[in-house]
Amino acid sequence: MSDNQKRILEMLAEGKISVDEAHRLLSLVEPPAEAKDSSSKPRVSKGSPRYLRVVVQPDTGSGRGAERVNVRVPLALIRAGVKLASLIPAHVSDRVNEALREKGINLDLRNIKEADLEQLVDALGELEVDVQGDRGKVHVYVE
Amino acid sequence: MNFPPYLLRLRIRNRRRRIRLWLPLFLLWPLAVVLALILTPFMLILAIVFLCRGWGRLLLAGPVIFRCLSALSGLEVDVKRDHERIIVSFC
Repeated sequence: MSDNQKRILEMLAEGKISVDEAHRLLSLVEPPAEAKDSSSKPRVSKGSPRYLRVVVQPDTGSGRGAERVNVRVPLALIRAGVKLASLIPAHVSDRVNEALREKGINLDLRNIKEADLEQLVDALGELEVDVQGDRGKVHVYVE
Repeated sequence: MNFPPYLLRLRIRNRRRRIRLWLPLFLLWPLAVVLALILTPFMLILAIVFLCRGWGRLLLAGPVIFRCLSALSGLEVDVKRDHERIIVSFC
């Protein structure tokens, strides 16, 4: 508690100021770290994210053979990979897309642009993805 | 500018044995540079020849491949199952 806050509470205790006046004064002397509205607080920059982390955690009841996977991928590698994917000839990327579709992944390699990737990374900087499946949990976040 | 990773750390652990390997990648990169310099004229010729078939751009992907290799630093894969564990990391 700061000195100003203490003084205000002492004045309230001595009856020199009313509760409303104390409340108003306290809101004026609040330190920046205790701002009322957290959404208006400027976001402390953690620096731009450098890695994408994917953690696959099996459920505790999965039994033997369940794998725990922890992968850390540098975002620079993903960006470079997107660049490399754009150099793949069209007839080859068609075959790759078809193979992905057979696996249930509806993705077109040619549509992945670096700008879209930056948007995705920015979005992941604000949130984390948690997926609970039958056999375990998948946690995706950037750091 | 990022540089390619200088070390590959490999750890394999199971019930019977534990293996720890540190592979010095920094010894490979000079060889790769020399090889790239030797192959560059041939790659240029092949790129011109195969440009109409769509492979030309891929054959000139040397800088992009270098960028991919440089970005490997920090890649880490850790897989654990029962009493077995494999960790691969590029430093």
